[in-house]
Amino acid sequence: MSATDDPFDDDARAAEYVLHLMDADDRLRFEDRLRDDARLRKLVHAWEAHFAPLADQVEPVTPPERIKAAVLNSVSPTASKRTWGRAWLLGLLGLAAAAAVAFVALGPVLRSPDLTPQFQAELASADGELMLIAGVIPPTHEIVIEQVAGAAPEGRVLELWLIAEGADAPVSLGLLEADGSTRIRVPDEIAPGVRTGTIAVSLEPLGGSPTGAPTGPVLATGTFTDL
Amino acid sequence: MIAQTALRDHAAFSALYDATSGKLFGICLRVLNNRSEAEDVLQEVYLRIWHKADSYAVTGHSPMTWLITVARNLAIDRLRTRKAPSKDIETVFDVEDARPGPEAEAIASSERAQIETCMAELEPDRADAVRRAYLDGETYKDLAARYEVPLNTMRTWLRRSLQKLKECLTR
Repeated sequence: MSATDDPFDDDARAAEYVLHLMDADDRLRFEDRLRDDARLRKLVHAWEAHFAPLADQVEPVTPPERIKAAVLNSVSPTASKRTWGRAWLLGLLGLAAAAAVAFVALGPVLRSPDLTPQFQAELASADGELMLIAGVIPPTHEIVIEQVAGAAPEGRVLELWLIAEGADAPVSLGLLEADGSTRIRVPDEIAPGVRTGTIAVSLEPLGGSPTGAPTGPVLATGTFTDL
Repeated sequence: MIAQTALRDHAAFSALYDATSGKLFGICLRVLNNRSEAEDVLQEVYLRIWHKADSYAVTGHSPMTWLITVARNLAIDRLRTRKAPSKDIETVFDVEDARPGPEAEAIASSERAQIETCMAELEPDRADAVRRAYLDGETYKDLAARYEVPLNTMRTWLRRSLQKLKECLTR
């Protein structure tokens, strides 16, 4: 009986393929078949999904910063005028972020199916010199701020504030890195106010506002919208 | 406006990287057991994620499953292209000791429980062989040497184990 006549044989081949147990020639032959055989692709995907949880026992290791810089550099906006929508990325981000939370043992969060909300705000100064994009990862209570254009002048720093709806004073969320992206974890107590609040960036002395309230000019503000 | 859309993608991608790169780097390191190669592969992984995102939907995978699959595939591809794999690549990790920790929740716990339950139904060294193939990228040859059995025996072992796993997983 030929390999293709036995349904389990294909399944075993699919598993071997997923485990990378085939030799190079068999692998190429299998890939040829995969291209036109949707049923076979399904078997492969099923094994991929079955095995993926085994990777849970692999401890995360923080890669060096330069890798991220290199990656982001090669996908810079000018190189990305592609037609693919960004829905996938946001969905992926939401769920992947959820998985990241799950790493710190908030498993139940992951089990709720509704983990894709993403909010985003664009903050641009009136003169257009400074432009920031802030994205919220709700499951982790994190705001990721991308400095798209401009930066604080030498000897000063940008500080991020949240003015919650109905609140009378801004709360400092933290300082931004000199450039690139900054990741800020919002304290749990104020996280619920982020979606409906206003965020703002002010120019402060190094080390941030000494008073707990913005002391320098507020350069840009924004509110979050759903993505 | 296209530029802004692209910028937004950029921000989302950056956040995705932040949320997942530790895990994926861990996987590359585990397979390659070599930091500089793992760094190269990690970079490749994110470029693949960026460019091949459209193929993600087709797989029907959860995001983490897809990301793990991409990382593992590229890491093992790299492993296989090494000219002369050293005879005994001794991993720095001890599979037996690596009991799932809190990070074990990275994938929906039901899927996790399922594969673990089914792995537990295999004889311990067979389950171990499957894990080594998946996590360390070991080949039939590596495994045959490790368990000191002929290559064909190893192949038969593993195929039977996979068959058993499948029966269990589809129960």
